[in-house]
Amino acid sequence: MEANLIFDANIYSIDAIKKACYRNINRFAVNISKEEDTINCNITFKNTVTESQIKIYLDDFMKEVLDQDLRESIKKETEGVRNLILAHTFSKTGLIKDE
Amino acid sequence: MSKFQPIEFYKNKKNEYSLLPFRFEPLSEVNYAVTNLVGEHLIIPRETLEDFVKHKLDSSSPHYINLRAKHFLVDDKTQIAKELLSIKLKTKYRVLSEFTGLHIFVVSLRCEHSCPYCQVSRQSDDKIKFDMSTDIADKSIDLALRSPSKNIKIEFQGGEPLLNFPLIKYIVNAAKSKQKEKNLSFVIATNLALITEEILLFCKQHGILISTSLDGPKDIHNLNRPRPGGNSYEKAVEGIQMVRAHLGIDAVSALMTTTKNSLGRVKEIIDEYLKFSFTGIFLRPLSPYGFALKTKTYSAYDANKWHDFYLEGLEYIIDLNKTGVKFREYYTSTILTKIFTSQEPGYVDLMSPSGIGIGAIVYNYDGLVYASDESRMLAEMGDTSFELGNVLTNSYEDIFLNPKLLDPIEESFAFSVPMCNDCAFETYCGADPVFHHAIYKDFVGRKPESEFCNRNMKIFKYLIERMDSEPYIKRLFMSWAQSNA
Repeated sequence: MEANLIFDANIYSIDAIKKACYRNINRFAVNISKEEDTINCNITFKNTVTESQIKIYLDDFMKEVLDQDLRESIKKETEGVRNLILAHTFSKTGLIKDE
Repeated sequence: MSKFQPIEFYKNKKNEYSLLPFRFEPLSEVNYAVTNLVGEHLIIPRETLEDFVKHKLDSSSPHYINLRAKHFLVDDKTQIAKELLSIKLKTKYRVLSEFTGLHIFVVSLRCEHSCPYCQVSRQSDDKIKFDMSTDIADKSIDLALRSPSKNIKIEFQGGEPLLNFPLIKYIVNAAKSKQKEKNLSFVIATNLALITEEILLFCKQHGILISTSLDGPKDIHNLNRPRPGGNSYEKAVEGIQMVRAHLGIDAVSALMTTTKNSLGRVKEIIDEYLKFSFTGIFLRPLSPYGFALKTKTYSAYDANKWHDFYLEGLEYIIDLNKTGVKFREYYTSTILTKIFTSQEPGYVDLMSPSGIGIGAIVYNYDGLVYASDESRMLAEMGDTSFELGNVLTNSYEDIFLNPKLLDPIEESFAFSVPMCNDCAFETYCGADPVFHHAIYKDFVGRKPESEFCNRNMKIFKYLIERMDSEPYIKRLFMSWAQSNA
């Protein structure tokens, strides 16, 4: 059983798609390819998976792509402060050395 | 001049705020759990989450106020959040610099029980072959006392450690004579079948605590733990009473092992603990090591059945508390401590970086050193991936800088593991490279397929939703977190 999903490469990053695929690794296998403005996901299910399960899995996958996109936004905005907090946390442990 | 600022003061008119690092996981179609670096959590609708990330959340909304109070954002009213997060995170990771606190001495592999799931035991009278020697004990004590940790706990395990009680006496006296500024404590993990007045007098003299096994009602316990005479339960119960009479009611704790015999009977098992005045129970999943795997008792039930067993038990315990009976489930308490406090409970399975070696270490009867109790169980099955050296031939540095310890700790560190690194529950969870190696033959495993991940993820979600559903549960769970800290 196979399915194809196409994502707009101007909206979603390859990383977000890859992470969403990884989170669904127990449900299906994915071949990801990129053309100019699209990211194509060729999805293969096990033979034992039913049509209704496939629908649920694809819905969940698309929601997960949205979540991953949101996670990217958070990471981008908070990376600096996250590193600052971690640097403060370990500042007196002797575990962080100047390069 | 008014004593208080007007409400307008607290409104952020331009909706200008910065996000602080946080992660999220869906709980349902509508609601999401969000957590920050130190484990503070909130439940918010998906719509609100999106508005929040896109800087569209109104500063007067209750969600905004909660997100600000729990350090998910900074605005012109609060700038201290970054410093507070640093301090809390520092407290959380303090345990790392303390290093190994728990030192397990396997003083004998011999045992008079023949439990089908037991990871490590031999029915043998061969003391030379299966008992720890004083030479090995001396070297192990020296290694234990080299740990930077000020508090050193020595736990005697087996087999049945009381079969080599003379060595326990020797180790306690020798460790005390060398302890210098260290605080020492001792625990004997025993089935209590061989406990005597003489042993208890020694325990009293040296403040030694007892940890025993109680699997539930008589039929379950005796089925799980065969011994000559078929009286393991009777011996355990008699032993618990003897220990309490000599050392006090709190000097003995009990652990249960879940087997297929336990499923469907969690209430009876909890009742048994209540009958003997224990104040909590650890509803443990069966570990996938040793004879448990060899004799197929591990595959006798799957993770979902254990989850049902655990939830039924937890709900029963909550109901007991509602009727005024103070009783806790310890696995839940450990997680709640991580959810509500900056303390690290030090439970090896739920530590990241993994607690192997740096939280606990095992000195085996034959001088070999293992990164954890589970590691020596794997070694008994022929897998020596976590064998770190030999006390007779290797130095402290050889053992603790062995790539067999450092590689799994580094590779499994959840901060950098796929899926864990963006999981909202990472701060509550652990790495457990030994479990993943045993089942999936790599230190990390694929988390969507990992039984460890699925089991814990379901528990985290359940606990967070349960607290949100009923104020009483939140108060109860907060009290469990504090008393475990």
